[in-house]
Amino acid sequence: MSSKESFNQISPSEFFYRNRDLAGFSNPTRSLYTAVREFVENALDACDQKGIFPDVHLSIKAVDPDKPDPKQYILTVRDNGPGIESKHVPLAFGTVLYGSKFGLKQARGMFGLGATMAILYGQITTNRPVTVKSSTDGKIQDQFEMLLDIQKNKPVILKNQTKEVSKTGLSVSICLDGDYAKAGSKIRDYVYQTSLITPYATITFDDPKGEKFRYTRIVKNMPPAPTIIRPHPYGIDVETIRRMLLDTHYQIPTVDDSMITKVRKELGLSKKNLNYSVIMQKAQKKWKVLTRPVRIVVAMMSFLKMDFEKLSKITIEEIDIGNKKLTYWDFGESQSISIDMDPESHYYKQLANTVQGETLTSFLTKRFQRVGPTTASKFAEFAKFKPEHRIGNMNNQELVKLTDALQSYDDFMAPDPSCLAPLGAPALEKGMQQFFEPDFLTVVQRGASAYSGFPFIIEMGIAYGGKISSHGTKVYRFANRIPLLYDEGSDVVLKVVNDTDWSRYKIKGDPPLVIVSHICSTRVPYKTVGKENVADRPELERELKLALLSLSRKLSSFMSKKGQAEAAKKRANLYTKYIPLIAQFCTELAGKTKQPNYKKMITEVPVVEEKI
Amino acid sequence: MLKKKSEKKTSRDKQKTLVELLKKHGAQTYDDLNKGDFPKFSIPSRSVSNIVYDKKLRQYILGTNSAVRNSKNTSQLRSFSQLMWLAFFANRLTKEKKSSTLRDVYYSSQAFEIDFEDQSESDNIIVDLEAMLTRPREDFHVFPEERSSVFGDLTIEYTVPGYEGKKMNLSDHPDGYAIGPSLTSAELLETSAEVIIAIEKGGLFTRFIEEQVDKKFKSIIVDTGGQAPRSTRTLLKRLHDELSLPVVILTDGDVYGEHIAMVIKSGSANAAHLRELTVPDAKWVGVWATDIEKYKLPTIPMTESDIKRCHDLKKDPRYQDGIWKKELEVFLKIKRKAELEAFSKYGLTNITDKYLPQKLELAKSL
Repeated sequence: MSSKESFNQISPSEFFYRNRDLAGFSNPTRSLYTAVREFVENALDACDQKGIFPDVHLSIKAVDPDKPDPKQYILTVRDNGPGIESKHVPLAFGTVLYGSKFGLKQARGMFGLGATMAILYGQITTNRPVTVKSSTDGKIQDQFEMLLDIQKNKPVILKNQTKEVSKTGLSVSICLDGDYAKAGSKIRDYVYQTSLITPYATITFDDPKGEKFRYTRIVKNMPPAPTIIRPHPYGIDVETIRRMLLDTHYQIPTVDDSMITKVRKELGLSKKNLNYSVIMQKAQKKWKVLTRPVRIVVAMMSFLKMDFEKLSKITIEEIDIGNKKLTYWDFGESQSISIDMDPESHYYKQLANTVQGETLTSFLTKRFQRVGPTTASKFAEFAKFKPEHRIGNMNNQELVKLTDALQSYDDFMAPDPSCLAPLGAPALEKGMQQFFEPDFLTVVQRGASAYSGFPFIIEMGIAYGGKISSHGTKVYRFANRIPLLYDEGSDVVLKVVNDTDWSRYKIKGDPPLVIVSHICSTRVPYKTVGKENVADRPELERELKLALLSLSRKLSSFMSKKGQAEAAKKRANLYTKYIPLIAQFCTELAGKTKQPNYKKMITEVPVVEEKI
Repeated sequence: MLKKKSEKKTSRDKQKTLVELLKKHGAQTYDDLNKGDFPKFSIPSRSVSNIVYDKKLRQYILGTNSAVRNSKNTSQLRSFSQLMWLAFFANRLTKEKKSSTLRDVYYSSQAFEIDFEDQSESDNIIVDLEAMLTRPREDFHVFPEERSSVFGDLTIEYTVPGYEGKKMNLSDHPDGYAIGPSLTSAELLETSAEVIIAIEKGGLFTRFIEEQVDKKFKSIIVDTGGQAPRSTRTLLKRLHDELSLPVVILTDGDVYGEHIAMVIKSGSANAAHLRELTVPDAKWVGVWATDIEKYKLPTIPMTESDIKRCHDLKKDPRYQDGIWKKELEVFLKIKRKAELEAFSKYGLTNITDKYLPQKLELAKSL
């Protein structure tokens, strides 16, 4: 991309401001709900990462309760998490795309964009600042009142003060246009379902009408926190590989204007135009502090014997280490020129190492999860690359070939699920028990599986009877501990549930049945940007089916025991009703006065245990 | 010449044995319960596959299959209790000499927390008890609603409460006497009659009394009122067995009439579980299909269902020989039928003056 195009660059804040529909801030109803989600999920994530039992308080208050919806609301979410260091607060809440969630591990939100979007939305609808209160040490709390400078993507601090407090945590409060009349039921559902899938948290919600919802901690164990891991070979594409190469600097940088500016700056020659040999002297002196790309450019310059002026008029075409030749295109002459490189020069070694990069096997073992030297060599054989092939030498076609081979090689080990944080069967079971108080409950956690290199784990629970009302099967869907409330119809979980022939499991009519499904993955395959329904990936569908199957079988055996118990009870009732009558009639028929002793026949009816 | 009753089973004996039978079943159940066993009954199966024609008895009987009704089985417990109740109820009726109808039984059950869903369920249980005891329900004082009548010189002695020992001659009332519970249970003392004439229709029964058929032909006239009710068939059998009187039957000249006669003679498949309801020696004397031609009777064409009935009966083992087979074939051939009243074309008394004497004479040779 050497052509100079004249597009206007916009700041990320500007971009999201213009495209806020994408992030779920399309109207006051949806925006209020989305804002609640973003803040609550951030609070839970923060606690999870530090292994703190979350204590999250959500409150929504109308600025003027007498006005009709939509109107301004003050939304406050307070947690007991680790807080944010005061120097990061303005950037974290005052810029878009500033976050810590860029690793490959399971978390509720991605990138931490949502909270800033909510703040942005609040600001553009009410022009009121966001209030952030944070304490990392449990003693001093920093309080900020800020606005976002949308065009510059920078925070504008209006007020900053400190206060003494007794515990750590973060509190964020924004004012925004919302419609609680319409969003209320979704928000209540959201809080309810979030509590169900986060049984180790205490979540409270004070709604604008003065109603208080309290969900206290049910389990005393936190699920282990997920770890950040390297990508799996199945999960990458050409672009990812290219970036991985860039990351490690095993790439000849494009020598364009900005690169030249960078080189000048590092050499302390921003303003001066020096000739070639002086530049090289300067570079020698500063070599140790130069960044890698600059070193490479200098190395090339040593062979090209050019100054910056000349350098800006050519483009490097190829560095052929084998033939010790460097080829470039001269714009002025409009021709390709090859020059020889002196292999004795230390600049040559610099270039050679850079261009060739690591060997393929070393690259694979270092940069991917679950690939060892043996697997790497076997893979190289499979992909028809030499194991010692330098990845830096790969051209586009080879990269594509490598990527294809990575995805089609069958013998990589399954992705490492340690980056996943399932809730765990016992916690899910306790949560469901507390929430539904059913007659029958069983949960299952499937082993880790993967689709396209992204590991995932399915957890599922099924509850029947008890306090569950008979309104038919109710499915609660979760992904990475987030409840999915919208777009139920096209979801893969619903599909799997609906494809099940329930009569085979002795379930008929509108059963008092609840199914809780939890998909944990580093990347949940959502169908839409709204992140409310999960696509039917075959691997995912298969795991969901197997999970449901194992639960249904247990339910079925419960149902038949229940059936037996009911039959026994019915039988006992029938005996109790009819045997005394028979006794009465036969006594008179037989001409006796005293009734036969039939009591034990009624009481000795075996009662089938109703225990699960 | 007065005929005295023979020393056969009398009405009183019958009652006694029935009560004993009921007591036996009651005692069995009582003992089972006392031992902690669930009582059960064995009831002859009344399914079609178990109904066979017995050539010796000349009637349909039940085969050897039987079904056990076990009170332990919850799907049978209810009907077991109903059956037990019915036995208990029948015992009371018999002992207290009270009569009851099918409908009564249905309602009486409700006083004992035994509920029948409808009358057909209770009717079914009554048939179960009949089959179990091999006694008709009339024996345990459950009677149908329909009544038929009898007239003639026959002296009876009532056994029903309030009338015990009271005697009555069945020719004292010109409308005849209804064959009800009291008549069915009465002792048959003496008669001057030499033949029993069973006639299908009430109108002709009245004509026969007016024309003094009882005196002219020394007969007892019985109106069957169409298909003879079982109490009527019981009475016919008793008249035949206890007083040794031959029975002749006059019906309409159609396939239904022929079968009315057959049921009196050999019973019905529905009552295959019962004996003592048939008069195997009874003779059907008319109106035959061949009489239609012979007496030039006015006729009406047979309907589709008449013809179908003919074909059904052709498969019945009792219609495989004699006049039964012959007349059925003639009906099918001429496809016409004639009622008893058809004789009125030749005068109201034509049937008693001409037809009846000829048929009674013929009956002796049948």
